[in-house]
Amino acid sequence: MNTALNPKPYLSVAVPVYNEEDSVCLLYEKIRVVCESLNKDYEIIFVDDGSSDRTLEILAEIQKNDAHVKAVSFRKNYGQTAAMAAGFDCAQGENVVSMDGDLQNDPSDIPMLLKKMEEGYDVVCGWRKNRQDKFWSRRFPSIIANWIIGRVTGVRIHDNGCSLKAYRASIIKNVFLYGEMHRFIPAMTTLTGARVSEIVVKHHARQFGKSKYGISRVWRVILDIITVKMIIGFASKPLRWFGFFSLPFIIATFFAFFSAVDLLQRDHTEVWLVTATVGLLCLFLSTHLISLGIIGELSMKTGDFRPSKGLHPNIKILQQTDHKED
Amino acid sequence: MSKTQDAPKESPSPRDPYDFSVIVPICERHDDLSELYNQYTKILSKRGKHFEFIFVLDGPNPEIREALKSLMKTSLGIKVIELNRAFGEATALSVGFEQARGAAFITLASYFQVEPEQLHKLLDIFEAGEHDLVISRRFPRIDSVFNQLQSRAFHLIMRVLTGAKYHDVSCGLRIMGPKVTKEVHLYGDLHRFLPLLAYQKGFRVFEVPVRQSVQDKKTRVHKPGIYLRRLLDILTLFFLFKFTRKPLRFFGLVGSALFGTGTLGLSYLVIYRLMGIGAIAGRPLLLLSVLLMVVGIQFFSIGLLGEIIIFTHASKTKDYQIKAVLE
Repeated sequence: MNTALNPKPYLSVAVPVYNEEDSVCLLYEKIRVVCESLNKDYEIIFVDDGSSDRTLEILAEIQKNDAHVKAVSFRKNYGQTAAMAAGFDCAQGENVVSMDGDLQNDPSDIPMLLKKMEEGYDVVCGWRKNRQDKFWSRRFPSIIANWIIGRVTGVRIHDNGCSLKAYRASIIKNVFLYGEMHRFIPAMTTLTGARVSEIVVKHHARQFGKSKYGISRVWRVILDIITVKMIIGFASKPLRWFGFFSLPFIIATFFAFFSAVDLLQRDHTEVWLVTATVGLLCLFLSTHLISLGIIGELSMKTGDFRPSKGLHPNIKILQQTDHKED
Repeated sequence: MSKTQDAPKESPSPRDPYDFSVIVPICERHDDLSELYNQYTKILSKRGKHFEFIFVLDGPNPEIREALKSLMKTSLGIKVIELNRAFGEATALSVGFEQARGAAFITLASYFQVEPEQLHKLLDIFEAGEHDLVISRRFPRIDSVFNQLQSRAFHLIMRVLTGAKYHDVSCGLRIMGPKVTKEVHLYGDLHRFLPLLAYQKGFRVFEVPVRQSVQDKKTRVHKPGIYLRRLLDILTLFFLFKFTRKPLRFFGLVGSALFGTGTLGLSYLVIYRLMGIGAIAGRPLLLLSVLLMVVGIQFFSIGLLGEIIIFTHASKTKDYQIKAVLE
């Protein structure tokens, strides 16, 4: 690495690439031009997600000629979330911009994102308002998904799926990205109290290669939304969450038992037994849920998630000052 | 674990780097070990390799220990490790890896499973440097039809559940680099699945067909418990591969299927009742539907708990393995 570089550059651009041998050179050139125009220290991190084509060779070539470039290559294909996580882990800049490796995002939007961050936001998301994709198979599901994600997580932005986003490094480095959580990064950052905003960015139709995502993932996304909701809302208090979850069943238990007793007194022998059994099942379920909540608390206690970790840099710590003059 | 390590007096210095460490876990079945040692030694010496042999006795076995001791008197570079009790082949192997000082590792079955000269094939491929783990496949099989059938069935189930396209994971002859043994955690009966686990970690695995040894012809019928255990092993792997990072994907799917079935049954009964066709309290379907819904919610909630555990405990394990960083 070039020793002339500041140990902490102003900007890191993290780009996951997977089998992009046609576009990676052009992409690099575009990013480089934009970064140079900023007149600040920068680094470009390419994460090669186990490409089977010549992507890595081309990256090595680029890296040899430009000390700003860093290339990380995976042993095999681990998916976009992992590639982004690796990019964030390697980034050394104060601000991190993530973007797609397929030229659908335009690097010329980066200065705009950074400008928005200077207004005091910690996460600025791109919004592909004029998205160049097929309506029914890509845009329509995305509109619905974003609406649901906004409603459920409370982070109402139009386009969670856009990879072009800018983050303050201290925020993104403390977001634990796993599974397929890259869709929920904005929501996950609110765990550390980040302020999230969005701006409209350009979006180009695919020039090279094929899209690497399918549409058959609705159910998985729904389950992920439930997970994210649980984590951001209740991760630090699982017992409360499971207790809340079991509430309807506790109520149902009481109802069933009371009506069973009532039916028994009125001598409906066949019916009361069924009602009582339903009551027992509900009782069983509520105890089950509460026990799970207790285990959740245990796991919380022994785990390494601390909501205070990576606290918002803008948080003001009010210190007691000496009041000498009364 | 007690170590029986009688280093011969004229032994080279212990820091001497070996090209290969040959690790032989000795579990239930074994042939004449000195014969095995001689055959493989011949091959490795012919290639001019510097190597050590590590025999790991899985549980005390005085007879073998004595046999190995007498072997140690005549030959160099042998280490014998004896475990206090039988821990299983995977543990024996990982103990062997820990004790080994070679630059790469060869594992062998403790009986003649394949023709020893076939080691050349594996060595050629491993030394080309393209692969981190080279495994062998007994092909063509010359043992009984029953053996072949049970092996086929096992690998078919494995392929369906995990997508791994290996043909003979039980074959003990493998060569691997130190990275593989360091990163792949072997326990229980998982030694069989070493290629799958290594592949999962992003290592390059290559399967070589080798000639089966005539001494491996015996028909092996296992106890039913063993078959069940193999099946459970595959299931374990299936979960490890697909759902470690997203337990809700699995539990949520099963849970909602059960809950959905229960809801269907219940709504049928409710409509039945509302239309005044008859009473529903005495119908078993009512209890069955409610039970299904309860079990469904149970599954789902366990998935949620799983997600909490992953979120709170797994942030230090990375989702990816880096091959190289260019900077």
